Amino acid sequence: MSATAALSGAEPREVESRDVSVPVFADRNAGYYGSVFERLQKGELPFWHMNLAGLLIPWIWSAWRGVWLMFWVSLALDVVGLVCLMQNFKYGPLLEDAYLDPSANAILIERYTRWLSVYNNVGIATLVLGRLLIGLQANRWYFGQYSKWRIDGRTAHGVAARRVVIAVLILVLVAPITLYRATQQRIDERACFNQVRAIDGTKRLLSSYGVTEVSDLTSAMAERRDRLVTERATLEASASLTDDQRSRLSAIRREERQLRREIDAAEDFKAVTAKDRLDCLFIDDFPTLARVAPPEDVTYRRVPDEEAVAQGRSGATKVIRQVKDPVEGRTVNIFTYTAESIDIGINFLRAQYAGIFDALTNVLRQSLIRVEVAFMLTPWPVLVGLAMILAWAYCGTGTVVFVGSSLTFLAVFELWQIAMQTMALVVVATAICIFVGLPVGIWMAKNRIANWITEPILDVMQTIPSLSYLVPAVAFFGISQPPAVLATVVFAIPPMVKLTALGIRQVPQSTKEAALAFGASERQLLTKVELPMAVPSIMAGLNQTIMLALSMATISAFIGAEGLGAIVTAALGDAQAGKGLLAGIAIALVAMVIDRILKGIRSSLSRI
Amino acid sequence: MSVVEVDGVWKIFGDRAAEAIAAVRNEGLGKAEVLNRFGAIIGVRDASFTVEKGEIFCLMGLSGSGKSTLVRHINRLIEPTAGTIRILGEDIGAMTPDVLRALRAEKIGMVFQNMALLPHRSVRDNIGFALELRGKDAYHRAQLADRALETVSLHGYGDRLPSELSGGMQQRVGLARALAADPEILLMDEPFSALDPLIRRNLQDEFLSLSQNVRKTTIFITHDLDEAIRMGDRIGIMNDGEIVQIGTAEDIVTAPADDYVADFVAGISRLKLVSASKIMVAVESHVARHGPIDDAHDYPTARPEDDLDTLVELSTGTELPVLIRHDGNTVGIVTKDTLLHGLQGTEAA
Ligand SMILES: Nc1ncnc2c1ncn2[C@@H]1O[C@H](COP(=O)(O)OP(=O)(O)O)[C@@H](O)[C@H]1O
Ligand SMILES: [Mg+2]
Repeated sequence: MSATAALSGAEPREVESRDVSVPVFADRNAGYYGSVFERLQKGELPFWHMNLAGLLIPWIWSAWRGVWLMFWVSLALDVVGLVCLMQNFKYGPLLEDAYLDPSANAILIERYTRWLSVYNNVGIATLVLGRLLIGLQANRWYFGQYSKWRIDGRTAHGVAARRVVIAVLILVLVAPITLYRATQQRIDERACFNQVRAIDGTKRLLSSYGVTEVSDLTSAMAERRDRLVTERATLEASASLTDDQRSRLSAIRREERQLRREIDAAEDFKAVTAKDRLDCLFIDDFPTLARVAPPEDVTYRRVPDEEAVAQGRSGATKVIRQVKDPVEGRTVNIFTYTAESIDIGINFLRAQYAGIFDALTNVLRQSLIRVEVAFMLTPWPVLVGLAMILAWAYCGTGTVVFVGSSLTFLAVFELWQIAMQTMALVVVATAICIFVGLPVGIWMAKNRIANWITEPILDVMQTIPSLSYLVPAVAFFGISQPPAVLATVVFAIPPMVKLTALGIRQVPQSTKEAALAFGASERQLLTKVELPMAVPSIMAGLNQTIMLALSMATISAFIGAEGLGAIVTAALGDAQAGKGLLAGIAIALVAMVIDRILKGIRSSLSRI
Repeated sequence: MSVVEVDGVWKIFGDRAAEAIAAVRNEGLGKAEVLNRFGAIIGVRDASFTVEKGEIFCLMGLSGSGKSTLVRHINRLIEPTAGTIRILGEDIGAMTPDVLRALRAEKIGMVFQNMALLPHRSVRDNIGFALELRGKDAYHRAQLADRALETVSLHGYGDRLPSELSGGMQQRVGLARALAADPEILLMDEPFSALDPLIRRNLQDEFLSLSQNVRKTTIFITHDLDEAIRMGDRIGIMNDGEIVQIGTAEDIVTAPADDYVADFVAGISRLKLVSASKIMVAVESHVARHGPIDDAHDYPTARPEDDLDTLVELSTGTELPVLIRHDGNTVGIVTKDTLLHGLQGTEAA
């Protein structure tokens, strides 16, 4: 690089020279498109300007020229129109049937006729208007593509038979099956299941009879039935039977019953047509009819360990494993298989780590009780006064009034003590969220791998509906307050973690560099620079966490949390709208009071 | 002993730095080739210089020429790929983290282009930051911080937040922060570049007069040659990671090492930079051309170290050449022609 170039700031630049003229872009028929594009740019193209190919053969034209957006839109419009017309095949036969007895089927006839006329009108309108729209838009879309191509040379341009082939493949894949589906009635729910059963059963029979053809199988079975019938007839004909003969007779009857079922299965199998299979595999449900043997039915139980007790360790326990016999011939789908496996896993963990679960439950219960007592023993005037002073110090007079009247609402409706139970749950859950979420957030901000692991987990946690958190909590801890706290923590912790990490990551690189340049250690960097600068973000996370905890504290009433939520769930059960509504308002007010005061504190912090 | 010694420092960014440096040394690859072959960026290329006690050393170059990268080696915010840096005779590459942190906090102050103040701390706490990191108590911190504030004429602003101050004032705070621990060395990475011209001028003057008093060894970075000439006792010019010339302002202006430096120098006024000794013609060659010097005239005289500005002053209002006298002898002659060529920076015909 010469010094002059460097000084003038004009770095030598490779300007790619590419012919971007319409003839190169359009390839065939360039004269026509050249004039159309020119008129379009000048605003001279009349509204009704129409591309005939777009009107008549839109799929082929758009694929040939690579205007894929148009291909998909025209395909969708045509298919919708045709599907509407296809309804004739679906309801036509029904209508004919109904006309066999017009007086009895008057209602049906009227209904089918109405449906068909609506379908036909909509179908024709979609086809005609759709094609018109495509014809009108074709050249305009094509011009859009041209503009894009001028910027990005990789955009589809020219004409290509290869694209037409792709389009035809798509058509073949999409159109026939969709149109066929439109002509068919909904398939009976059990039909596909019965089909699979008949097929599996017949396969088993084929192998047990040692034949390969179904016709052989039926004749073999018929032969066997004839034999049984003759034998039974002779036995029944004789006047007196020995004990042996009598037991033989009942054996024959049993065998006959079994054989009848087998013959039925084979008949079912023969009744399954190719069309039935096609309907089940491709147009009904996703073909997940796979069946597997269920997992082993195991239960784990913790029982006193007599050996160890005998050796002098009193109170020793051990986990035993009990296996139940499998049910003969039971097969389950994959969903059930997985669900049962998970159940077994949870069962094992519960038995194996009973000590840990008990200890955790105990700690949670004790801390809940402590906090609850603190809330409930503090006289309400003190708490109300405190809240109002906070509101007055950090927010405006409006908030003071709001806080005052909200808390009066609780007091007047005698919800105070119950609201304090909810508060206790929220406080304990939030405290756990802070103690766990803050370090995890810091770790996530500092460590790429930690971030890589934690981020998706948090995303999933935030998308799972809150009710689902109750299930594992109940599975491990049963129904009581501690699992409610845990479910609340799990539900409420993501914003704490995420916003802590965000706040730390937001600290500018240059600020951190300055701190290091003045001799800060990693630890000092965290405590004196990163955490203080992340405080607004962390406070925002805390606010969100508290709100989520409050909402989850309500929902976890389903698994035994006390407080306002319990009133709501009880009201749900008894269909007492009034009670539920009042409790709901109380929850909303508590949430708003906390939110307002926290917002006030946050904004006074961020003024610094 | 020099305060700062930088010896053969290379910095190559990228995972394959070691391979890249070997290739550059053996095959003399350029920046673009290294990027292509190793995906590595050459930040600094074989830089060596020393800075003496109390000196202001300017590093000048276009943005991206590696000035910031080089200066960050001096407090080891960046580890060199090769080469050594010695501060007061000690190799900082061999220091343990603790010793290094002590060095940064006590011996080296740094000022940044974007101030990089801590927004949640008051001005006083910002200034006391390095002291706080060393565990100094609050009382002494406040005292030292207030003294530093006075040095940069921001007395009474200690309790403000940085966001309440203007850009120029913030940079004064940045300077005060660097001075608070009374370090021996100041590293200043384009400290005034983000400021308005007038305020920049102001701060330059203040910093110069402050330097007169405190005599800190300073490495001052700028992309502006005027600033480099104003501030620097010596100037190092960087291009593409390489130091292409080191010298005084006059050296650089009168004898640029290459086209790159010459282009920089082209727009610089030589009036105050070039001395008579650089342009004067020897008496004999003058006599050979124009005949002997006539004693009857009252020639204007100047000393060899007088700048062109003085010569212009002397030459106006007379047709006579200026005699350059040293120790009572005439050592050279400056005619109007020589003077005009000297101003232009071209050789007299
Ligand atoms: N951390 C880094 N990783 C990769 N390249 C870097 C890094 N820091 C600086 N560089 C590169 O090194 C070169 C010198 O940058 P820098 O020292 O900031 O220049 P200056 O301060 O002179 O403007 C630039 O090309 C820049 O892109
Ligand atoms: Mg820089």
